[in-house]
Amino acid sequence: MKELLTARKLVVRVTLALVVLVIVMFVCSLMGTESVSLKAVFGGAGGQEAVNPDYEILVRVRLPRIILACIVGAALACSGVIFQALLRNPLADPYILGISSGAGLGAIIAVLSGLNWMLWGRSPIAVFAFAGALGTVWLVWFIGRLTGKSHVTGLLLAGVVVNAFFSAVIMFLISVAKGQQVYATIFWLMGNMTEEDFLVLWLGAGCVAAGMLALFYISPQLNAISFGEDDARSMGVNTARTRTIAFAVAALITAVAVSLSGLIGFVGLVVPHGVRLVFGPDHRQLLPLSGIVGAIFLVAADTLARIIVAPAQLPVGVVTAIVGGPFFLVLLIKHTHKVGWLGK
Amino acid sequence: MSIIEVSHLSFGYPEGPRFAASRKTGTQVEVLRDLSFEVMPGTFLVIAGPNGTGKTTLLNLLCGSLVPKSGSIRIDAAAIESYSTEALAGKVAVVRQEFVPVFGFSVIEMVLMARTPYYGQMGFESKADRQIVNEALKATDTAQFASRTLASLSGGERQRVFIARALAQNTAILLLDEPTSFLDLKHQVGIYDLLKRMQLEKGKTIVAVTHDINLAAQYADVTLLLAADSSYQYGRARDVFSPEQIEKVFGVRVFSGKVGQEKFFIPLGKFAKDSRQINGDSDISLPK
Repeated sequence: MKELLTARKLVVRVTLALVVLVIVMFVCSLMGTESVSLKAVFGGAGGQEAVNPDYEILVRVRLPRIILACIVGAALACSGVIFQALLRNPLADPYILGISSGAGLGAIIAVLSGLNWMLWGRSPIAVFAFAGALGTVWLVWFIGRLTGKSHVTGLLLAGVVVNAFFSAVIMFLISVAKGQQVYATIFWLMGNMTEEDFLVLWLGAGCVAAGMLALFYISPQLNAISFGEDDARSMGVNTARTRTIAFAVAALITAVAVSLSGLIGFVGLVVPHGVRLVFGPDHRQLLPLSGIVGAIFLVAADTLARIIVAPAQLPVGVVTAIVGGPFFLVLLIKHTHKVGWLGK
Repeated sequence: MSIIEVSHLSFGYPEGPRFAASRKTGTQVEVLRDLSFEVMPGTFLVIAGPNGTGKTTLLNLLCGSLVPKSGSIRIDAAAIESYSTEALAGKVAVVRQEFVPVFGFSVIEMVLMARTPYYGQMGFESKADRQIVNEALKATDTAQFASRTLASLSGGERQRVFIARALAQNTAILLLDEPTSFLDLKHQVGIYDLLKRMQLEKGKTIVAVTHDINLAAQYADVTLLLAADSSYQYGRARDVFSPEQIEKVFGVRVFSGKVGQEKFFIPLGKFAKDSRQINGDSDISLPK
C-alpha cells in the first residue's frame, strides 16, 4: 500500500525545504563580483564616519534582492499551482488569464505618459502594472462568467484572447514610442530583480505569505475541484467559495509579483510540475512545497543572472528558462508514469 | 416512508444564446414535465429512456446540481434545497461517467477525497475516515491497485474506483449515470452485481441511469421509463417494459423472450439478418 500523506510528513518536508531555502539564500548572498567577508559583515554597519563596505554590499544590496526573488518565486509557483488546478489544465501558468499583458499594458502606459511621481517608494510603472494586472483578471473573469458559471473552457479562451489583444496593443504602443521609452518598457517586460526598499519587501512578503496561508487552508478542496466542479460538489465541497478564494488570491499574489519584478516566465509553469512529478499531486503538499521550491529556484536563477556575465546582468527570465528547461525535461522523462494525463 | 420523493417536477434548459430575447421571456427547452414518483429506502431504481429525455438531468436534479423549474424533490423527508452542499453529500453520492483526471492522483488518494468535508482542522483525514475508505476499496475489489494512478487502470477498474469513492461518502442513496456504458459484458454484470450487493447488504438505495434495458430488467426493483414527449412509466420492470412500449418509446422494433420472470429484448434494425422473422412477442424458451 502506498504511503499516504500525513500531517507529520508534511511538516517534516516543509521544514526541510525551508532549511534548504535558507542555505541557498545564504550561499547566494556570498556570491557576486565583489567577494564579501562574513567576519567583516558581523562587524556591523559601522559608525558614522567608517562605512563597512562588506556589510553594505551584503545587507543593503544583495539581501533585498534575494528576499525579492523569494517573494516573487513563491508567489508565481503557488499561483501556477492554483491556475492549473482550477482550469484543470497542465499548460496553465500564472499569466494565462491575461495578467501578464494587463500588467505590461499598465507599465507601458505609465512609461509613455512620462509620470514621475512616487507612491510608497514605488515608481508609477509598478503601480500601473499592479492595477493593469488586477483589472485584466477581473475583465477575463467577468467575460468567462458570461459563458457559464463552471465552464473553464470559456474562461481559458477569454484569457487567451484578452492576452492576445492586449499584447497587440502593447506592440502598437512600443512601435509608436520614442527610443528611451521603448528601452525602459522592454527592460521591464523581460523581468528584472532590482534592489528594493525594505518596506516594500515586507509589504510584498506579507501579502504573499497571507495568500499562501489562505490557499493552504482550501487545499483539500482544491484536490476535489481538480476532478471537476460537479464532482467536487457532489463530494460536499463548496465549490463556489473555493473557486472564488483561489482565483482572487492567485490573481492578487501574481499581481504583487509582477509589479515587483516585471514578467518572469517559466517559474509558475514548471515549478508546480516539477514538485508534482517528485511528490505527487496532493495540493496540501504541492502548494507549500511549490512555494518554497519556487523561491529557491528564483534566488538561484537570479544569482546566476548577476554573475554569469558580470559586471553586466542578464534578465532573470533568460536564466529561468535556460537552466530550468532542461532540468524539467529530465524530471518529466524520469517520472512520466506519475503524470495523470500521460497515462501509465 | 419514502427516501426520495419527486412531485410534479418540471425542468427546462434556457433556449438560445445568452442575452437573446428568448432568455428574457423565459422560453425553455423542456426536458422533464410534471414528473412524480417515490422511492422507498433500499430500492434499486433504474431510469431508462432514449437520449435527450432527461435521464441525466433528473440525476443532476436529485443530487442538487440543478434546481427544478417547478415541483419539488424531497430527500429523506426534507426538501432538497434545505440541505447545504455538505449535508446533501452526506445523503446522496453520485457516480458520473468515468474519466481520466488531469493530475496523477492514486486510487486511494481519490477515494479519500470523498471524506473531504469531514477532514480535521489541519486538513487531514481521521482514522475513522481511513477505515471507511478501506472498506469501500474492499467492497469494490479495488484495494489491490490502491496505490496506482487512475490513468493506469482499465475503464472497468476505473468505474469501480469511482463507485468506491461514492461508497466512501457513506450515503443512503447512490446515484449512477450509465455506470456500464463503456464496459464489456463481464464488467457490466460485475458492476450490477456490486450495486445489487450494496443494496442487499448495506440497504442502500440505488438509482442508476442506463441504456441497457435487459440488465435493468434483471436487477431493478422499479423502473422509470422516460419518453421523448415527457410522458413516463413508473413501476416494476416487467410491467414497464413490453415490446409495444419499447417500440413506442425508443422507436425500434424488438425481438423479445423470457428468462425466468423477466423479459429480455433484442433490438433489430431494418437490415438486421433476422429482422424479417419478428412478429411482436415471440415466446421462445431458452436451452437450459
